[in-house]
Amino acid sequence: MEQRIIEIGESFTKELDIVKNSKDLEEIRIKFLGRNGLLSQLFEDFKSLPKEEKPKFGQTLNVLKNDLQNKFDAKFNEVSASEKSEKSFVDFTLPGKKKSKGSKHILIQTLDEIKNIFKGLGFSVATGPELESDYNNFEALNFPADHPARDMQDTFFVNPDFLLRTHTSPVQIRTMQKYAPPIRIIIPGKVYRNEAVSMKSYCLFHQVEGLYVDKDVTFAELKGTLVSFAKQLYGNDIQYRFRASFFPFTEPSAEMDIWWQPAGKEGRWLEILGCGMVDPNVLKNVGIDPEVYSGYAFGMGVERMAMRKYGINDIRNYFDNDKRFLEQF
Amino acid sequence: MKISFNWLKEYIDLSGIDIQEVIDKVTLAGLEIEEVIDQSKMFENFVIGHVKEVKKHPNADKLHLCVVSDGVNDLKIVCGAPNVAENQKVVVAKIGAVIPENNFEISKAKIRGEESFGMLCSERELNISANHAGIFVLDNEIEAGTTAAEAIGLNDVIIEVAITPNRQDALSHIGFARDVAAIFNRPVKFPSLDINEIDEESSSLASVEILDPDLCPRYVGKVVKNVVIKESPEWLKTRLKCIGLRPINNVVDVTNFVMHEVGQPLHAFDLDYLSGSKVVVKKAGDDKSFTTLDSKKRELQANDLMICDGQKTVAIAGVMGGENSEVTVNTKNILIESAFFNPSSVRKTAKKLGLQTDASYRFERGTDPEITVWAAKRTAQLIQLTAGGEICKGEIDAYPVKFELKKVELRFERISKILGYDVPNEKVTEILTNLGFEIVSKNNESVTVAIPLRRHDVEREIDLIEELARIYGYEKIPDIERVKVTLEPKFDETAFENQVRETLNGLGFYEIITNSLLSETVSNRFGNSIGVLNPQNMDMSNLRTSLLPGMLTTISRNLKVKENNLQLFEIGKVFNKKNDVIKSFDDFSEDSMILGIITGRSIDTEWYSKDNNFDFYDLKGYVYEFLKSITDKEIEHSYKSESNQLFEYSVKLELDGEELGIIGKLNDELCGGYDIEHPVFAFNFNLEKLSSIPVEEKKFKELLKYPKVFRDLAFVIDNNITHNEVSETIKSGSSKLLHNIKLFDIFQSESLGEGKKSLAFQLEYFDETRTLTEDEVEKDFKNIIKNVEKKFNAKLRG
Repeated sequence: MEQRIIEIGESFTKELDIVKNSKDLEEIRIKFLGRNGLLSQLFEDFKSLPKEEKPKFGQTLNVLKNDLQNKFDAKFNEVSASEKSEKSFVDFTLPGKKKSKGSKHILIQTLDEIKNIFKGLGFSVATGPELESDYNNFEALNFPADHPARDMQDTFFVNPDFLLRTHTSPVQIRTMQKYAPPIRIIIPGKVYRNEAVSMKSYCLFHQVEGLYVDKDVTFAELKGTLVSFAKQLYGNDIQYRFRASFFPFTEPSAEMDIWWQPAGKEGRWLEILGCGMVDPNVLKNVGIDPEVYSGYAFGMGVERMAMRKYGINDIRNYFDNDKRFLEQF
Repeated sequence: MKISFNWLKEYIDLSGIDIQEVIDKVTLAGLEIEEVIDQSKMFENFVIGHVKEVKKHPNADKLHLCVVSDGVNDLKIVCGAPNVAENQKVVVAKIGAVIPENNFEISKAKIRGEESFGMLCSERELNISANHAGIFVLDNEIEAGTTAAEAIGLNDVIIEVAITPNRQDALSHIGFARDVAAIFNRPVKFPSLDINEIDEESSSLASVEILDPDLCPRYVGKVVKNVVIKESPEWLKTRLKCIGLRPINNVVDVTNFVMHEVGQPLHAFDLDYLSGSKVVVKKAGDDKSFTTLDSKKRELQANDLMICDGQKTVAIAGVMGGENSEVTVNTKNILIESAFFNPSSVRKTAKKLGLQTDASYRFERGTDPEITVWAAKRTAQLIQLTAGGEICKGEIDAYPVKFELKKVELRFERISKILGYDVPNEKVTEILTNLGFEIVSKNNESVTVAIPLRRHDVEREIDLIEELARIYGYEKIPDIERVKVTLEPKFDETAFENQVRETLNGLGFYEIITNSLLSETVSNRFGNSIGVLNPQNMDMSNLRTSLLPGMLTTISRNLKVKENNLQLFEIGKVFNKKNDVIKSFDDFSEDSMILGIITGRSIDTEWYSKDNNFDFYDLKGYVYEFLKSITDKEIEHSYKSESNQLFEYSVKLELDGEELGIIGKLNDELCGGYDIEHPVFAFNFNLEKLSSIPVEEKKFKELLKYPKVFRDLAFVIDNNITHNEVSETIKSGSSKLLHNIKLFDIFQSESLGEGKKSLAFQLEYFDETRTLTEDEVEKDFKNIIKNVEKKFNAKLRG
């Protein structure tokens, strides 16, 4: 009996030592600790021992049982820990699962940027139709028929009275007809110019115009507002200038330039927008008394702004909608 | 318009003022300088050389080896010109010089084995004439080493000025000088008109009759006799060439010179070809055509204003003269025309003829009726100077209705009211006077000025304020740091479409923007399109009636560059005719639409996925997610597939019985027309309809406090029975404890039998007020099974 106890203990230790996985471990458990295992057999045999030998071997057997169980538990923990770590291996270098990001068109993103700046300055956002009347697009804005000023904007006509709007200014007229001053709006939208499609020009583009009509609106306020806008968009340290210009619907009129310094190239003045005080004729056309009210208006093209900002050389990229272009923004 | 500084200096003293300062200041004052050509800079590294030695090139018959002194060093130069000879004075382009003719930069070169350190130039290479027969040989008196710019008088600065349509008065050297004069507070000098006239009166040799005084308010004629037509003298040719005009002959050159001097377009008739020696200004009437001096036959309209003689038409008024009376080498006697024509009449005629000339460009912007006599005299003076002859006394001045000077009052307080800063009163009068506005009266409150007739753009107080602002300087307006806040109600009419964009971006869609102009055929295929009268080309002749063609073109373009997996949308206007003639906004519709597509794979083949082709169910999922962002209400769909030219199959989506839009798979044939072979699934909604869905105010719903009970079941059922029919049956036979039915599995296999499928559902039970008992759920569940089995002859699985 004693001999068997020692042998079982030794062979258990030996076999347990070389176990690598839980399957082999389970075999050992069945062989030694199972219901019909070697340890159970020993206890069976123990029952048939003479009474006087029982105390001696009983104690040894219990020691053996505890010893085997402890060793087994330790090994079990060791094997399962190593197996778990094998199973939960993560290859951090594998590419992640792809998702489509989606984005607004870069022109709309640029419009948003402009819109947000002006909303912060208290402007509302108005829109209007693209197929307009000659009256709203030209007459009401102080472009007389047969006047060379009309050559400033090559126009697509549907018939002599209807056209594709050449600027979003007709929405100025519509808004002033609808509301009484104070009116403070910006007008984003598509406009059309009858120009050949090339790298630098397209038959349509996006414009944002602004209009503010109230008592005591001055050119100084226009200048202050636009300088604030330009600084928010282009940075606080821009150099800028206002240059006299001509638009039929504003008087006096100006264009705003900022100093553009591309890396490694000669700097130059770059026109970023046109502006001016609303012409009294325009106010009269919508029934606002120019002796009581004054106003300013301004307008800018979104395509060119984004071209400069992102270094896009060909305006047609915007309307080709190549996915490789769309994904960049 | 080009302005030559050398020429400009004849009318204003610019001493002590840097040219760059002039350029900067006039630009700020509204005469935008677009380009500056400094001739002396163009001729950097060009000097006068003395040819000391000429030998034959050992390896080339036509080349010479020259030694040329540039005043300091002797340069070896290989030259191919036949006329090169020792002791000539020539123009040497040294290393670094850029040849004006072709922008070629001179560098050290080896020509047929011989080194060359420069080039001897022809006149054409210097851009001073077309002569390229040999090198340009100069007067021997000129010293070697003199700069070429100085030696050949190319020391001018030429600027290109963009004149806005309101400023015709600045379209000449004197006009430009007026603005410079006002900015720098210096006077404009007019050339003296000291002329010798013979006793014979102009009016005795010719007469002028105006039949349409509205269209021709003033016509001045003056006669010069016995001229000799020949080439113009150098000074005149240089002036014209500097501003890009081609010299023709002395008389024509003088008329061009005076136009660019003072802005008055002039015409010279051969008086001997004017039948009856008379000029009649009248409408074309029955005259149908006329041959202009460029030998082109022009079609006339009855209202075009013409210049006629006793018998025939001799010019299109303000646009172009005729071949039948132009000045030729044989011309002896000249009638000078210096007139004022109605701007919009000239514009209409020039537009219709598609003929814009320097004259029509000025007339249609409004010339100066007051300068006509001066310009006629000045022309006569210069004709005599360059062509000899005798100037006849006086002018024929047909001026039926005299223009009156407009007087405008400027209230000083309005200046600061509009500009936001004060211009000192003395400065106001100084600027207005310098611009040529005559002070009529003045007091503490205001000043009244008479507006010269050349300033068609100035007729109101606000126009005078602009004049002050631009001359005094916009830069003097302070950069204010405060603006008023106004508290009118605020709105954003783009808010809805932006919300739509953001939802679709979140679902992985990219936004595109396509051209709203399409060909007539394409546009009419999708609606009743509106054409443009004057398209750029026939591919862009009509407004789009649908966003679909732009989208299909975009897909097609992407497929060509192997971008096959696309999730795109566009928001844009579409236009449809309601009536054939568009007279008002009611005759057409302009609708904001949103079109989205998915095509290709949702996920490309990757390590974790194989085939993930987009299908109708992806589309439906996206659309329902998208619509959830707009309304909480349940969207119904017609459940009846429609097939048409656009869609292979499609269903309409409705809300409260109102159609919102359509989703489906695009027609293969339609896609095939754009070389698209993959299936494309699309949704199309009217944005205004979506935005008009009433948004119900959100109300918090108490969270469920009692447990939910789930039951799963699966039926084997005929293939043609829809998910919807089964779920409706489940719903109808169930108690109000059933809250959700989710289809979680669907499959077909042989083991189920021919034409059968299995639909597996998960049912969700709960009650908001109590915990459910096992029994009541079980009862409901059994009821459902019975109903479905009975109605569809279905079998419960498992």
